[in-house]
This record gives sequence, structure tokens and C-alpha cells, in this order.
Amino acid sequence: MNLGRLPALVRTTTFRLALVHASIFIVFAASLLGYLYYETAGQLDRQANGELNAEFQELSAAYRGGGFDRLNQAVIERSQARGKFFYLLQDADGAKSAGDFDVLPAQAPPLGEVVDVKFNYDARTPGGEPSRRSAEGRISRLAEGGVLLVAYDVGDLGEINRRVSTVVWRSALVGLVLSLVGGVVISRSAARRAEQLSRTTEGVMAGDLSRRAPVAGSGDEFDRLSQQLNAMLAKLERLVVSSRSAGDSIAHDLRSPLTRLRNRLEAGLKETEPDAQVAALARSIDDVDGVLATFNAILRLSRVQAGATGSFRRLNLVEIADELSDLYEPVCEEQGLAFEYVSDGELWVHADRDLVAQAMANLLDNAVKYTPVRGRIQMRAQRERDGAFALVVADSGPGIPEADRERAVERFVRLEQSRSQPGSGLGLSLAAAVAEAHRGELRLGEGLGSGSMPGLEVALVLPAASSKAITGGRMKLIRREPDAVT
Amino acid sequence: MRVLLIEDDADAAQFVRGVLSDAGHNVDVCGDGASGLNQARSTEYDALVVDRMLPNMDGIKLLTSYRDSGGRAPALFLSALGEVDHRVEGLQAGGDDYLVKPYAPSELVARVEALGRRGNTESPATRLSVGGLEMDLLARTVVRDGVKIDLQPREFRLLEFLMRHAGQVVTRTMLLEKVWDYHFDPQTNVIDVHVSRLRGKIDKDFDRPLLHTVRGAGYRLEA
Repeated sequence: MNLGRLPALVRTTTFRLALVHASIFIVFAASLLGYLYYETAGQLDRQANGELNAEFQELSAAYRGGGFDRLNQAVIERSQARGKFFYLLQDADGAKSAGDFDVLPAQAPPLGEVVDVKFNYDARTPGGEPSRRSAEGRISRLAEGGVLLVAYDVGDLGEINRRVSTVVWRSALVGLVLSLVGGVVISRSAARRAEQLSRTTEGVMAGDLSRRAPVAGSGDEFDRLSQQLNAMLAKLERLVVSSRSAGDSIAHDLRSPLTRLRNRLEAGLKETEPDAQVAALARSIDDVDGVLATFNAILRLSRVQAGATGSFRRLNLVEIADELSDLYEPVCEEQGLAFEYVSDGELWVHADRDLVAQAMANLLDNAVKYTPVRGRIQMRAQRERDGAFALVVADSGPGIPEADRERAVERFVRLEQSRSQPGSGLGLSLAAAVAEAHRGELRLGEGLGSGSMPGLEVALVLPAASSKAITGGRMKLIRREPDAVT
Repeated sequence: MRVLLIEDDADAAQFVRGVLSDAGHNVDVCGDGASGLNQARSTEYDALVVDRMLPNMDGIKLLTSYRDSGGRAPALFLSALGEVDHRVEGLQAGGDDYLVKPYAPSELVARVEALGRRGNTESPATRLSVGGLEMDLLARTVVRDGVKIDLQPREFRLLEFLMRHAGQVVTRTMLLEKVWDYHFDPQTNVIDVHVSRLRGKIDKDFDRPLLHTVRGAGYRLEA
């Protein structure tokens, strides 16, 4: 591990959580191991201690019953029986009277007290080898003089004790290390994901809008966060790019009419004929109106694209289509175009009436503009195969080659053949923006023509209003509409 | 008409005053919200023209206060804020119409005159009459010089609007807003086509035309 980064690591929430987990683990392990010790080594210890007590009691009883001699006799018998215990009985002068040891391992206590001792002694194995062994015992001073030591060998018991405590301590240590290492590993992986997210946002703030947070594919919280962040960045990027391109387009699309206007005014200034001056002024006003119209269209498009406008409510697309067919049918007729309108029942959507109507008016304007005389224009309000609803405008004009269709909905793009026609080039872009504002889409395809005049068909596809709202007319629409702005 | 213009931009105020004066109206000008409100309360006007952005009291607040204190003169908002939301806000504050800057002078005159007329004819008429043209709003029939004229529902509404504003210039935008309730500018001449259809029905077989085209402005229905 890189120690230089440790402090940063320690500051992370995950690391702290790991530390808390490690502490809890240690407390748990310590209790478990303590209990284990109590039940094994501790139990043996207590058992030996109890037996020592009993032995001492019996010898004390013998002393009380028959005095020193009786005790002496008992010690000799027990010592010879080679039982569990070892003995030493000293007389009042301190000389060995009976037993297995020759000297006391410790100072005898005053009368009436006992002292527990641990000591080593030398013994011989059955094979005759000398060996040093451990023992624990109890020393007591006798009432009429003399000292008694009763001890037991702890060789085996001590070994078990030591092993158990070793196991307990080692387990505790290993557990501590493992839980700390685990905590650090988990903390580092979480910290790394957070670090990636933070690097992404730093990159974006530094101006690189194409940066995206990595998605591991595990679908965990970090992945969801990354996906949302990426969706947000994608939208942000689109908006920034479109506002940049709007700036370029404003420069491009407004500069030429403004230049024309300037030239006309200058020419008008040089005119001496009053009529010519008036005519120049009148045409200048037309030019300014055109510039203003384009300008308004740009602003409106920007607002729609930014999702900053519209009052969305439940409405029937067919009603909008009825009104629009009513509005445009005479226009088509006047232009020598056959107009056909087909609608299908009721198509309820959640939409802004003015935006949808404007988008469709743009499509109808385009159709009227580009379809040659004796052509056909058709408007349809229909259900799509995927359950969405669509308003469709189809014509028998020149259409848009498939390769150009995607580009055609971009801002200000006016395909070469349409350059000669008046218009801002924002009609399709606005329709696309309106579709997007409704979480729908704009689909372009071939229209009613054939051969060199395939025609264009543009469908404004909007998602159907939720079925709850359809079945219960009085039900309140609970779902919050993300695009509704008040 | 006596018009009060409340507008802080002196150039714009001068221009509007000129446009309305040329159309034959009396115009008083106030340069800020507070004095505008005082002036509107102290004098009877036929129409108010109020800029939305004003120093020390914005147009919305001004009109709200004016209406709260019982002021009844119809009001037109002038604003650079053209979104539907803003428009609705203006109308809710007691405005009768809403015009987005920049606008054509003819549009302004037409709308101000339409306001003045509205103030005079609040009573619900059941019959409208212009020259020999008669409209029965209840039976929904139109008769000219005794000849019944068949109109589509939309044509009927179009004619009704024109007749209610007889003698005044009505712009294409006004028609699109008031008759169709659309707040955008179509690029094709949809309104002209509808008006010319209507004209075909009410004027074609008669000697004297009633529906006139006003160049550069709109239409006027006049006997």
C-alpha cells in the first residue's frame, strides 16, 4: 500500500466503517475466545484446585482426629500410593518427617493461614532421565508445630493451558489483522469508485463535456450514480453544444439579412426619388421583420430545447389535428395541393397544446412550401405500433434523402435544394425539440410520392398518457411530469 | 381615445406616443410604476399601455394594485418576455392583451383600439350588425341584405371577431390569437387564405365590399 495516500484513505467514510466493523469483530472474537478459555483450560484449573482442596480437607481431618502422628501416617500411606499428589510433612523443628519432597519450595505461612505456591522440581522419568517439572501446591502450618505441603504436578495441565491461550491470542491477532485488511480493501475499492466520479466531474468542470463516469456493469449504487451522472452530462453537453451552435447560427443566419438590410438602407439614402426611398424603407421593414422572426424562432427553440417552457396537461391529439386541418386545408387548396386528413378516435397524451400545434404548423408549412403544384399533402392522427400516438404530415414533394434526414433536424440546417426557399431552417429542429420535450421523437421517412419525388413523411410521436389517467377521467394524475414547468 | 402609457424607456415612450397620436389618440406618458399607478387612479383613461419591466414597481404589480383599487380601464402589456407563461401571468394580473416587443406600430394601434372598443361594449350583444351584414349570435346565422350566408363554424367565429371590432384594423396575429388561440407565427399565409375565403362568402355577390385589406397591417370590416 502506498503510505503517502494513507491519510486520504483514513478520511474516507468506508474506511471508518471498516474500522468500526473491525472493532465489533474484535469484541466479538475476544468474548468468544475468553469463553473458550474459560470452558477448557480454566475448567481443568478449577478441577485440579477442587481436588487439592478435598485432599487438604482429608489430611486436616486426620490431623484433627489423631494429631501429628496420625497425619504423618496418612502422608506416608498416600505418598507410597503414588497418587496424583506429592507431599512434604515437616515436624516442629523443620525437619522432614514424611513425603516426597525434601525442602519447602517457599516460606511457610504463619499459623492459621495457607499459601498457594507454584514451583519447579527435578524428577526422574520412568527411564531414569532427569527432568524439570512444574507443580502447584498449598502450604499450611500445623497448630502443634510442623508444616504440610500438598502439591500436584501441572506438567500436562500447564501444557494444555499454554496451548489454549496461545491459540486464543493468535486467533485474536489474525482476526484483527484480517478485519483491518478487509476494511482497507473494501474502503479502497469504494474510494476508487468515488474518486473516478469525482475525477469525471472535475474534468467536466475543467471544460471537457465529453467526459463520462465509468460504469462497472454490476448495477450497484455506484453504477446507478454513474449512469445518472452520465445522463445528466449528456443532456448538459447537448444543451451547451446547441447553444454554441445557436450562437454560430445566429451569426450565420442573421448576418446576411442584416447585411442586405444595411445595403438597402444605404441605397435608399442615395435615392433622390421620394417613391424609391419609400419603397426602400418598406422593403427594409420587411427585412427587419424577417430577422426578428428568425430571432424569435431561435429563442423559442432554445427555450424548448432547455425544457424551460410549456404547460403540460392531458389533451386529445385528434383535437389539435382537427384544428390544424381546419387551418391548413384552405391553404393547401389555394396552393393547388390536395389535402387529406385521417384521424383515429381519441389519442390522449400529456402535452402542451401550443408547442404541439406549433411543431405541426411548422411541418405543414414545410409541406406546403416544398410540394409542387398538383401534389398531395396528408395529415394523420394515428396510433403507432409501439403504443405511442403520432401526428403525421406526409407530402409528395422532393423529400429528404435518407442520408440527410438526421442532419435535417439539426438547427439551421437547410439542405441545398431548399436554400432558395424563404424560412429560418428551424422548423424541423423545433418539431424535434418539441418531441423531445414530450419524451417522444420525430420520425422522418418517405412520403406519398414516387421516383424522383419520393415525398417526405414526418411523424411527431408522443407517448400515450398513462392508462390510469385515461380510464379515470376524474382521477388526479399523480405521476410528476419532469418537463412540466410552471 | 385617451391612453395612458407607462414606459420607462424614453425613446420607446416617444415612439409609442407618436404612433398612437398619429392614429388620433391622446397619450399621457409616465416613466415609472408608482407615478403611473397614481396617474391611472386619478384620471379616467380609455386604455392603459403598460411596460412589464418598470423601475420601483413592475407592470404586473402595478396592474394588480390598479385592479384591486377598482380601476376598470382595459390594459395592454408590452413586454420583451414573450413566452406563454409570461403571457398568462400578465393576463392573470388583470391585463386584457399582451404584446411582445418588438412589434409593428400597426399591431400596437390595432390592439389598443380593440381594447378601447371592448371597454365600451361590455354588454352581451346577441346580434351584431355592420352595414347590411347581420349576425345572430344565438341562432348562429348570418344574413346580408336579406340573403342568408352559410359559414363554417370557424368562419363564423372569424366574422364575429371582425364584426365586434368593426371599423378597426385587426391584424393577422390578433386573428390567430383570438380566433384560433395560437401564439406563434405560421410561415405561410394561413390567415390571409381564411380571410379571403370569408370574403368570398360575404362580399363576392354584393356591390359594396365590407371586408377591407389594410396594407401592411391587417384587415378592417367596415360599411
